Amino acid sequence: MADADLQFLVVDDFSTMRRIVRNLLKELGYHNIEEAEDGAEALGKLAGGHVQFVISDWNMPNLNGLDMLKKIRADDGLKHLPVLMVTAEAKKENIVAAAQAGASGYVVKPFTAATLEEKMNKIFEKHGL
Amino acid sequence: MSHNQSAASADENNNSELIDRIGQLTRALHDSMRELGLDKEVEKAAEAIPDARDRLAYIAETTEAAAERALSAIEVAQPMQERLAENAQSLSSRWDTWFDAPIDLSDARELVADTRGYLRHLPEQTRATNAQLHEIMMAQDFQDLTGQVVGKLITVIRRIESQLVEVLVEHMPEAASYRERREADIDGDSGDGLLNGPQVNAAGKSDVVTDQAQVDDLLEELGF
Repeated sequence: MADADLQFLVVDDFSTMRRIVRNLLKELGYHNIEEAEDGAEALGKLAGGHVQFVISDWNMPNLNGLDMLKKIRADDGLKHLPVLMVTAEAKKENIVAAAQAGASGYVVKPFTAATLEEKMNKIFEKHGL
Repeated sequence: MSHNQSAASADENNNSELIDRIGQLTRALHDSMRELGLDKEVEKAAEAIPDARDRLAYIAETTEAAAERALSAIEVAQPMQERLAENAQSLSSRWDTWFDAPIDLSDARELVADTRGYLRHLPEQTRATNAQLHEIMMAQDFQDLTGQVVGKLITVIRRIESQLVEVLVEHMPEAASYRERREADIDGDSGDGLLNGPQVNAAGKSDVVTDQAQVDDLLEELGF
C-alpha cells in the first residue's frame, strides 16, 4: 500500500462507477479521493497540481479517457502522473492504443477489487509511491 | 342462379380485383424503391436489428446477474446479523438476571467467559458481513456496463429510424416533417473505432479480450 494520504482522481461519466471505485479505494485505506465526470473536468482538476494518481474510464463525453491521457503525457507538468485505465473497452486495439499513449495500467470492466489493488500496487512500485 | 350466389361471385370478383391492385402497387413500390436506392436503406435498417437484439439480451443477462449477486450476498449476510443480535440479546438478559441477584459466582464466571468469547469473535463476524456488503457494491457495476450498451442501442434505433423515415418521405412527401425533426436531434454518431463499450457478444471474436488475464498477456507481449 502507498501513503494513505495519496491524492486520487477518479474519472468516469457514470456516477455509480465513480462511487464503486471510491469505495474500493476507501476499503484499501485511501481517503483523499476527488472525482471528475469526463476528461475535460479531470484536466481542470489536474491543473491544481495536487493529484498524484488518476484512475480513468475511456468512453466519456467531451474529452474521452484516451485523449485525456495523451494530453497528460504531452504536458511537462503532468507527464509523470500515473494513469490507470479502467474501462469496458475490450478490443485488442484499445489495449494497444492505451499502452502506446502511455497508460500506466489497463483494467477491463467488470473487474474485481483484487485486480484493481494488484494493478495499483504494480504502479506504486514503479513510481516509488 | 340465386340472389345469394350472384352476390358471392361479385364479392369474389371484387376480391381478386383488389388483390391484383395490391399486387401492382407492391410491384410499383418495390420498383421505385429500387430506383431510388431505398431498398438498401431498408436492408441496412433490417441489418441493425440482430445487433440491437444482442445488446438487449446483454442488458437482460447483465442486470439479472447483478440482481442475483446482490440477493445472494444479502441471503448470506442476514442470518449472520441475526445470529449476532440473538447472541447479544441472550448475553444481555443473562447479565440482567445476574445483576438482579448477584450471588452465584460460578454463574458470573461462565457469563464473563461467554461475553469475552462473543466480543472476541465479533470483529471476525462483522468482517464477514462487510465482505457481503462489498459484494453488493461490486454487483452495481452493471449500471455502467448496461448504461453504455443502452447508449449504443439508442444510436442504433436512431439509425433505423432515419433509414425508415427516408423510405417514408419518398412515398409520402407530407411526412417530411419527420425528417426535419430527426435531423434536429441527431447527435453525430462519431463512428470512432475505439469507442465500442462493453462487448455484448465476445464469443468467437479474435480481436476482443474477454478477461483481465488476456489484457495482461497482451500487454506483456507488447513489452509493457
